[in-house]
Amino acid sequence: MGPLLDTFTTELRRGTLTLAVLSQLRTPQYGYSLVQRLEKAGVAIEQSTLYPLLRRLEKQELLTSSWDTTESRPRKYYVISEYGSEIYEQLKKEWETMTLELKTLLEGDENNESD
Amino acid sequence: MNLIEAYVYEVTRRLPEKSRNDIALELRSTIEDMLPEQFTEQEVMEVLTNLGDPSLLAASYRDTPMHLIGPKVYDAYIWTLKMIIPWAVFITILVHVVETIVLFSGEESVLSVVIKSFGIIIANIIHVLIQTFFWVTIVFIFIERVGLSKSDLPMTKYGTEWTPEQLKLVLAIPKKKAIPRGEVIFGLIWTAFWVVLYFNADHLAGVYRSIDGAGLQMVMPALNQDVLMSYLPIVLPFAAFEFGLSLFKWKERQWTMRLVAINAFIKVFSLIVFVVIASNLALMNEAMIPYLADVLEINSSSVGNFIEWAKWTIIVTVFVTVAIEIYDSYRKAKAI
Repeated sequence: MGPLLDTFTTELRRGTLTLAVLSQLRTPQYGYSLVQRLEKAGVAIEQSTLYPLLRRLEKQELLTSSWDTTESRPRKYYVISEYGSEIYEQLKKEWETMTLELKTLLEGDENNESD
Repeated sequence: MNLIEAYVYEVTRRLPEKSRNDIALELRSTIEDMLPEQFTEQEVMEVLTNLGDPSLLAASYRDTPMHLIGPKVYDAYIWTLKMIIPWAVFITILVHVVETIVLFSGEESVLSVVIKSFGIIIANIIHVLIQTFFWVTIVFIFIERVGLSKSDLPMTKYGTEWTPEQLKLVLAIPKKKAIPRGEVIFGLIWTAFWVVLYFNADHLAGVYRSIDGAGLQMVMPALNQDVLMSYLPIVLPFAAFEFGLSLFKWKERQWTMRLVAINAFIKVFSLIVFVVIASNLALMNEAMIPYLADVLEINSSSVGNFIEWAKWTIIVTVFVTVAIEIYDSYRKAKAI
């Protein structure tokens, strides 16, 4: 049952990933600082998934990026764009409705069982 | 090269040229971010384990698909292959059979020519199958890559997205009524075989003898090609009908009463034509009877009787075969 459960969990997580990343980019972040922020909030994320995702979101114009070369090592900072914010707000609404709907479903399920 | 550089190289060499530098720079600084100020090789290894297989990381950076033919066009691809392959096999066999019969000079025995042709045909079919598979695949890889269908929905065999309208074109064929594709193709080859035989009867059908132990050679044709050719205006339309019938069967894919009627009509008239031609006495090569009588050391009238007897056996056999075939097609058309 282990591997199958893992597959389902990964699938569930993958859908929420974009939302989680967009929520943390109202202030500019570089790759590793974003990982740390997400981990602090308890969101475990494969790093090999995160970095390509950032680039993809940038290509889709949801994020903008800039290189900071003033520090000891150059870092690429990502920040949400105006278009990205719009998408994020809508996505957040979708998420909220969805969790509410699912909650009703799951609670209904429990009620049925206790009947 | 240190481990970090090697890792970055392993990822970027799999990426398109233009994004390599940027990704390399970002990846390097990220790895260094994950490491403490002073790090050991052990720590580097841990971080790199965390990032995982460089080929997988590179794959998630790339936009192009990691497959040649994806689920979008796979169905259309398989359908196209299934459609083309029977025809490719048919044409290969046809071309070779016609070529062999036309070029047949009578110097080699029929049996050895048949055996040799069989080998060549099998080799050619394998060759054609490989070619067909290769080119169809190339075309579909192109469609997949260039994305001739812009939408994310899979392409159907009609070359467009699915709509309920397509259901009107769906034809569910009951197994009992079905005409197998192989049967149609065999029919086509069979017709072609007889047509070629008809035109070349004078150097194919005849008396074969082993001369000086040099294998079988034809010493005398059995039929008068001139008499045979005089029936051309009747034979040719019937050959055309047979071809047409096969194509019609291919299109219909199942026995219907209309198809049974057309089939029976063509078969019965072919049979009549066959009997008319076969019973023409001038058809036989006159020189053959005395020759056979001489060789077999019997009198000419017994040879004549034997030929007459053989002729009627063939006619009855053909008659029975045709009757069975017509009844069988009728039975299939009636099946529910």
